[in-house]
Amino acid sequence: MVVNSPSPLPERAIYGFVLYLGSQFGFFLYCLWAFIPEEWLHSIGLTYWPQKYWALAAPIYLLVTLVIILVLLFGVNMNNTAPLDSLDNMTDVYAKGQKTTDCTKGEYPD
Amino acid sequence: MMEDETFTDISGKAISLSCQDHSSLCKEFVVSVPKVSIGKVMVYTCCVWLLAYAVFFFTENTAVLSSAIFITLVGMMLHIHFVKVDHETLLFIGSLGIQLSSSYASGRETTTFIEMGKIKDIVINEAIYMHQIIYYLCVLLKDPSEPNAVAHVVPLFQSSKPRLNCLVKVYKSCQEILSKC
Repeated sequence: MVVNSPSPLPERAIYGFVLYLGSQFGFFLYCLWAFIPEEWLHSIGLTYWPQKYWALAAPIYLLVTLVIILVLLFGVNMNNTAPLDSLDNMTDVYAKGQKTTDCTKGEYPD
Repeated sequence: MMEDETFTDISGKAISLSCQDHSSLCKEFVVSVPKVSIGKVMVYTCCVWLLAYAVFFFTENTAVLSSAIFITLVGMMLHIHFVKVDHETLLFIGSLGIQLSSSYASGRETTTFIEMGKIKDIVINEAIYMHQIIYYLCVLLKDPSEPNAVAHVVPLFQSSKPRLNCLVKVYKSCQEILSKC
């Protein structure tokens, strides 16, 4: 049985570094697309790319979604919490009653 | 025998508990919440009316002012009639039942009676309430047809929500009576 542990490993270090390089490069490409004027992009031949409006709109959409997810997470959790008058706060179908037979001193009850 | 000590509710506001022993089998517990303070009412009213005046200043519509006054009055009346609880009472009569009553700030009283045949036990349970875990006293009800299963749970002192020291006092007295009958 392979034991999974969160400790650092050489493979994980490599994955992390590749992800880091990839994300930095992706951001550099995004900045290139956002700042280079449309005419220059057309003159290179890249004509069918999204409008520059999305260079601002997409990150804002993402951040607003993250904030809403945070609020919704708390809300859904609170909604699913059992109210104080519910039987789920006391017991459920898996609860077992305590044995009433006395056990001799030193023995673990079954 | 009357007892009056200062306890607090779950948010730290002071409440008071008074226990009355009518006999060895009959006890009454009254948890009183402090009344609405005049300072708070004045602060709230001033804020709402200043806000309404600010809106009137920009819109020049006098309906804003009169509607603000109307809403404040109606809101306060509804609050003291339906929301603001003055004191909650638990009257425990051994072999007869339990009577729970809440009396509101406007004088309205709601009462429920639970007969002894339906009562399985009175316990202090701990549960998650919003963002915290609180202790609360509750009555476990059983169906007469199935005496070993808990049918319902009735939480007590829901509006005043006292802390554990207050609940323990009530719990101990109730268990004394329950063990006698």
